[in-house]
Amino acid sequence: MSVFSSKAEKVFIFAFFFIALGIPLFFNENTFYVNKISTMLILSIFVMSLDYLVGRTGLITLGHAMFYGLGGYLFAIMIPEYEVVNFWLYTFYVMAASGVIALIVGFIVLRTSGIYMIMITLALAQMTFYFFADSTEYGGLDGLFIYLKPETSIFGLNFLDLDNENHFYYLCLLSLFNCYVFCKVSLHSRFGRVIDAIKENPERATALGYNIFHFRLVSYVLSSSLAAYAGYLFSLQYGFVNPTMMSWEVSASALVMAILGGLGTIFGAILGVFVYESLHYGIEHMTQYWMFWMGSLIILMVLLLKSGIAGLIEQLVGGKRK
Amino acid sequence: MEMSLFLVQLLNGIQYGLLLFLVASGLTLVFGVMGILNLAHGSMYMIGAYLVYYFAAMTDSFWLAVVIACSIAMVIGVIIERFLIVHLYKRDHLDQVLLTVGLIFIFNAAQSFIWGNDPLGVDVPELLSSSIQITDIVEYPVYRLFLSVLCVGIAIGMYYVINNTKLGMMIRAGESNREMVENLGVNIGTLFTVVFAVGVTLSALAGIVSAPVVSLVPGMGERVLISCFVVVVIGGMGSIKGAFVAALLVGIVDTFASVLLPGMSSMTIYLLMALILIFKPQGLFKS
Repeated sequence: MSVFSSKAEKVFIFAFFFIALGIPLFFNENTFYVNKISTMLILSIFVMSLDYLVGRTGLITLGHAMFYGLGGYLFAIMIPEYEVVNFWLYTFYVMAASGVIALIVGFIVLRTSGIYMIMITLALAQMTFYFFADSTEYGGLDGLFIYLKPETSIFGLNFLDLDNENHFYYLCLLSLFNCYVFCKVSLHSRFGRVIDAIKENPERATALGYNIFHFRLVSYVLSSSLAAYAGYLFSLQYGFVNPTMMSWEVSASALVMAILGGLGTIFGAILGVFVYESLHYGIEHMTQYWMFWMGSLIILMVLLLKSGIAGLIEQLVGGKRK
Repeated sequence: MEMSLFLVQLLNGIQYGLLLFLVASGLTLVFGVMGILNLAHGSMYMIGAYLVYYFAAMTDSFWLAVVIACSIAMVIGVIIERFLIVHLYKRDHLDQVLLTVGLIFIFNAAQSFIWGNDPLGVDVPELLSSSIQITDIVEYPVYRLFLSVLCVGIAIGMYYVINNTKLGMMIRAGESNREMVENLGVNIGTLFTVVFAVGVTLSALAGIVSAPVVSLVPGMGERVLISCFVVVVIGGMGSIKGAFVAALLVGIVDTFASVLLPGMSSMTIYLLMALILIFKPQGLFKS
């Protein structure tokens, strides 16, 4: 059985990564666009992790940006101020620490479901937001700065320089690829089958003897750690973290991107991010009241586009999802 | 803490709690009857406050402005329900979240387009601008007392309408079984429009009457919405009685926390919520 759920996905994934590999060569010396696209790749990881939770596990959260922000903050708090640290080591630290936090938060949040879970995740994310926004120790609304970028040597080999925009771009692309493969493989495994069953019918899954709380908790922790990794990359790209990263607008627009791309498709996250962000830049360029147009667009999307862009492509390319 | 200061803080807490109740009751009413989670509920609070600022400046009368702002809020409610929410009744929670997030974006853009992003203020109406001396140095503004009395009045009014009128009967029936109400020949479409319009007007009214005691800033709606979620989660979604008890609890805890634990104040109510959730995942009053 193919790892791809549909022909559309196969076409899209090959085309996307093929084009993405050439982007820095295409823009050559123009680092502005390379940087912008790096940010979109980071966002794609974040939205993909959200799709894993919302689209596949069936748990709607409006507080996912909390982990996105935490990824950045954990890194900024853990590093010594004037010392270059190892990237891979801190990737592990950040993901492990956020995993532990997700375990505790998940334990509270997953006691509820549906509409309650939406409200509680939002409230907890706002709590974290105000915790950092009001704290003097962590820089309040200005956040924290990361003065030195980590080095990336592994087994004595050093082939990535994070200060170089093109190198950083490839790191983001590699991360997105790994994230995609991880999501697909884990959803294709036995664990993924159970997750699907729980989403389809929690009562029946329970009746079959699965402890749905445990499966949901694992999924929540995995997804949150991925989100934290994305936030960590974001903080490396811009050299600072601030509470805005975990504001509710970030969670809400991530949800919009996931749905725009096609919920539960995983690869749709990439589509959603690129379409939404391009529209965002385009509209913001024309008017400072971009929120009005974005809002109208979201409402139209809900009313007209039921299965996202991925659904549209699948209709065009043909080949149903299994 | 001194007794008189304690009393003032308690009054502040109750007043804040009662205002929260006004917003939360609208949210929980709409959810209870229609099954819709309206995230733009807080935006109506903001719009109410800005509308009263606008019309108070235009007409020179706070009370006239209150009436106009309330009517506009109700019209906005009817329009939103008739043209947008009506498509959502058979959809899942996610579509509700998205559509109402879209509305928040639009309201926020409208606010910054019409009134700008600088903080604004509304004067306390002259009739209620005095203060009551509690001790030589401690005094309490009459307007805040008026707020509390008004909110209690509305709470009693809601209690009466829901328990003793035909509309209330339909609302209670709608909460327990929507399909059955429809089959019994009640025009559910009209009922939903009325409930939604009343719900958002309650939120707008809270914004309107609190405009003289808060500063009008962008994002004020979301702040209220989040506190309101805490209230509804603690009280039990869909339960108006629960919303009343929880709102007072949150109001008092939040007010005392900002006096006693200044560094932690913004987190206290969330900790309270987490604590209650561990023991009662459905809230204090399950609907």
